[in-house]
Amino acid sequence: MPSRPRSGTGAPPLERPLTPLRLLTGLARPHSGRIALGALYFLLAGGASMSQLWMLGRVVDDGLIARDGGDFAFWLALMAIAVTAQPTFWVLGYRQFNSADAANQRVIVERLTDHLNTAGTGVRGRVSAGELVNLPSEDMRKAAHSVTEIGFLTNNLAMFTIGSALVWSIHPLLGGIVIAGSVVTALVAGPLLKRLQRRQADYRDMIGGLTAQAADIVGGLRVLRGIGGDLMFTARYRERSTALRDRGYDVANSSSWIHALRSSMPIVFVAVITWAGALLAVGGALTIGGLASAFSFATIFIAVSGNFIISANYLVASWVAAGRLTRFLAISTDVDDQGSLRGEGGELRDPDSGLTVPDTGLTVLVTAETAPAMEACERLARYRDSEAMWGAHPLEAYALADVREQIMLLTDEDYLFEATLAETLRVGPDAASDAIATACAGDVFTALGGSFDGRIAEGGRNLSGGQRQRLRLARALAAGPRALLAVEPTSAVDSHTESLIAARVTAARAAQATLVVTASPLWLAHADRVVWMVEGKVRATGPHAGLLADPEYRRLTSHEEPA
Amino acid sequence: MSANDTRARLPIASPAQVRRAFLDLLAADKGPAVQVLVMYTLAAAFSVAVPVLLGRVVDGIGAGWGAGDVNLWCGVILACVAVQFVFSRLGRRAGYRFGERAAARLREDVVARVLGLPLDRVEQAGRGDLGTRTASDVNTVADLLRDNGPTIVTSLIEVLVLYLALFVVDPLLGLVSLLTLPPLVLAARRYLRQANVVFTAQRAAMSEAAETLSASGSGARTVAALAMQEERRALGYERGATLLERFLRLIRLQVEFFFLLLWLNRMQLLITVVAAGLWFLEGGLSLGTAIAAITVVVRIANPTNGVMIHLSEFQQGSAALARIAGVGLIEAAPREAEPDGNDLVLDTVTFGYGDGPDVLHGLSLHPRQGERLVVVGPSGAGKSTIARLLAGIDRPRTGTALLGGVPVCDIAVEELRRRVVLVTQEHYVFTATLRENLILAAPDADDARLVAALRRVDAGWAVAAGLDTVLGPEHRALTTAEAQQIALARVVIADPPIVILDEATAGIDPASAGNVEVALAAALAGRTVIAIAHQLQAAASADRIAVVEDGRIAEEGTHSALLAAGGVYAGLWHAWQGD
Repeated sequence: MPSRPRSGTGAPPLERPLTPLRLLTGLARPHSGRIALGALYFLLAGGASMSQLWMLGRVVDDGLIARDGGDFAFWLALMAIAVTAQPTFWVLGYRQFNSADAANQRVIVERLTDHLNTAGTGVRGRVSAGELVNLPSEDMRKAAHSVTEIGFLTNNLAMFTIGSALVWSIHPLLGGIVIAGSVVTALVAGPLLKRLQRRQADYRDMIGGLTAQAADIVGGLRVLRGIGGDLMFTARYRERSTALRDRGYDVANSSSWIHALRSSMPIVFVAVITWAGALLAVGGALTIGGLASAFSFATIFIAVSGNFIISANYLVASWVAAGRLTRFLAISTDVDDQGSLRGEGGELRDPDSGLTVPDTGLTVLVTAETAPAMEACERLARYRDSEAMWGAHPLEAYALADVREQIMLLTDEDYLFEATLAETLRVGPDAASDAIATACAGDVFTALGGSFDGRIAEGGRNLSGGQRQRLRLARALAAGPRALLAVEPTSAVDSHTESLIAARVTAARAAQATLVVTASPLWLAHADRVVWMVEGKVRATGPHAGLLADPEYRRLTSHEEPA
Repeated sequence: MSANDTRARLPIASPAQVRRAFLDLLAADKGPAVQVLVMYTLAAAFSVAVPVLLGRVVDGIGAGWGAGDVNLWCGVILACVAVQFVFSRLGRRAGYRFGERAAARLREDVVARVLGLPLDRVEQAGRGDLGTRTASDVNTVADLLRDNGPTIVTSLIEVLVLYLALFVVDPLLGLVSLLTLPPLVLAARRYLRQANVVFTAQRAAMSEAAETLSASGSGARTVAALAMQEERRALGYERGATLLERFLRLIRLQVEFFFLLLWLNRMQLLITVVAAGLWFLEGGLSLGTAIAAITVVVRIANPTNGVMIHLSEFQQGSAALARIAGVGLIEAAPREAEPDGNDLVLDTVTFGYGDGPDVLHGLSLHPRQGERLVVVGPSGAGKSTIARLLAGIDRPRTGTALLGGVPVCDIAVEELRRRVVLVTQEHYVFTATLRENLILAAPDADDARLVAALRRVDAGWAVAAGLDTVLGPEHRALTTAEAQQIALARVVIADPPIVILDEATAGIDPASAGNVEVALAAALAGRTVIAIAHQLQAAASADRIAVVEDGRIAEEGTHSALLAAGGVYAGLWHAWQGD
């Protein structure tokens, strides 16, 4: 598969294996200018914020206590400037960091999009449906957020450093208490928070389980109402809900400690500062204005030390999300694309099972077990590496794009994307009409409003099972592959329609190769050749009438009246 | 049913109903709620004592206090902090516990209500909507109740107490400090109105990105087969661009609001300093009072920001609660009729889905008791609709669907399912043990009976796995055929007098489908069985066959009689036999 161009704003191509750190720094690097500017703004905002509180002390000492109207006005005017400068710088910084965050959200979605194309069918079975939903939403959001969090960290660090220095300048003892207070707050809250997170992780798991159970009840609502069990399921839900509530009580125990500590620790230090400051003031070593300043500093910025922990938590979440993204981006394609031959048709041969598909006519594969037949078809369509041959060469020797274009596998797993009918069939209106007629899918056309512009919902949710199956068949027919390998293409269709489809497909594809895995006599009636497979190996090949001599085959394919 | 765009959405509660629902949650746990509020208030009051007492100390120092006085008063301050801590911790704990209980009550109520909803209503609305309401909406409200709710309430109480303290310290300075409140409230209201739209748009963009990319992943093989890489790339990039655009919109909005919030906070401080300073200089105020007022105002900023930042979460919680309360607004018609006997009959019924055209046109069908009636016909002929009318899921537009002489739709669900069970292609397997999956209709059934039922439907794999095996996609995922066998085993265990099988064996491997049919027929011998089929497997052995075409019964009779008649059925049969 040709490698896709990376997005213009994306990270540079990486030769070394991707790690979470490399992913995150790769996301930050294109925004280094923005980050530097944002950090400068946040630094200025922190400075403006902290200097106001220091000026407050000057207002009290030089203006009020000294009863000097001029100084009072001067310091107030300076404070007014700082009061306006602080939010201005803060939002400027906020915008820089968040813009980088927003740009990263886009880059991550683009990288995931590209990787889905590069890894192709390699993602099948390697990523769960739930992960596929989380990667481009929650994980994307958290990983992109790392830049913003680094910004907040800068802001808090600036406030902390400038604030400590200013309090120190008022009196070294108070400075010492404020710094020690911040450190102690972080040291006490940190480990407590870690413990809380462990408990919360359990709790979150339980919520997940309970949510899944509610979804289960809604999903099976018809069964529960139609056959019973609603009382049993309500009781089961209640039981787990109560268990969750009790676990919630445990969490409440630890989290109430943390929240109380987080709200009280700053007040404790405010009280200590007040005490120490008051004693210093009594001794004349500190002015009243200095005391008021120190009190205000303590009030505002010991709370800042709690923000360090919040930032650390967000960064850890970014790291974990980046880890998940990295693992996904490391998934590689499951089929090599080393071949270079151009496909020229010919017989398809699968040595593993002994199955061969001639390059024209209808071959019907009859088997009691669908799974091994499906595997054989996957080998022939190169969704699995194998020794399969196409004409004179191994299938692997052909360019993969060519194989995909000329050999098509049709199963019920084929996906219907959210698109119009025209976009789904991928051909002009005439060819589309032909394909719809051959697949007897006229009712799909009608159901979508009788227009090729009718929209199909994601996964074909707005169509019935039978309609989806015939639409997938129509899409495969419209693509006109040289070889079509169809596994149970009409299992959800009524006999009358199945009979029509079998006749029309046989006629429409007479000059090309068609393999249908089915035991339906309606298809067998049109088969040029029948292959009977038992436990994954071909047991016999021949015309349907000839194989009917074997009673086991007969039981499988003919709808005789049960004895 | 398909492509039904005008789905009747589930109702959403009005703002008044949401308030009502919210008050109900509080009222259900009234005592503890009051306790929580009292403790929050006490905690806030003791924390406000710190700046107020600081003023007292400042004036004391001015009046020439010694170290002893300072130590005494500062000791009082520290004691206040200690008391504050105790109330804060106890209040938080009680608050979280209250939230836990309210969240549990909310989710249990919703699930109980969901199980009582009329099925036709749920199916019209689509199950996704109901699923979101019972899952993510419940979690959003629960998070609000147990986490952000207490934070918002404590911050709010703290702000109120701080303002109150300011008025106690000096009423005039209290009034001055209120100057910045009106613009703050206006800015917050404006922000909330717009932010709600932008947050919703941002979440929508994220789930669209998730849907597009997970579709690319689920359809990886289809993308490869049809060379759709370029289209999927364009679509994924478009989703990325939308995300960026929505995020930038949010940033613009936040920059405006955060600027005002931060600026007004500090302006409040500045205005208070100016007023307190001028008044002190004029001699109307002691220095201690001025400093107490100023330091109280310094404290107001933090909890104010706390309230403001969490307000949008409060708003999201209300929206979720509106959707949850909406589930309770769905009217269920009372079903109280008492059937007399098990005679089931459709008499000249017409029916159509929603406002759509009739799909059944004056159709009559009377399965005799104990008979095996097979209904065949092309897709879209109305076969499944017949099953739904017989099972009492839908009510005919005209004509009657009667069981034991009363309309099927009027019989209580519990009573009806003892008599009639419908099995469809939609065979749901619960994430629960095999035993729990089977005993739905007969909670007292012993293991021997369950095993016997499993054997009846040829589910030897299930017997081998054991009844304690947990089923479901994350434990033991079942194939379509296995899930179908479970669905059939449930019916065998339920053992109702009337069974309706709507394509119930459609997904079973051709090799075993026949076996299951035969075994099931034996298990259900003596019951009235109405089997709907698009394939003809089941038809030949039926007591009677009804051929449905275009919403009408085209032919009715035994296999041989219909073959002899040479009509539609005979044509189908010959085609199907490969003749």
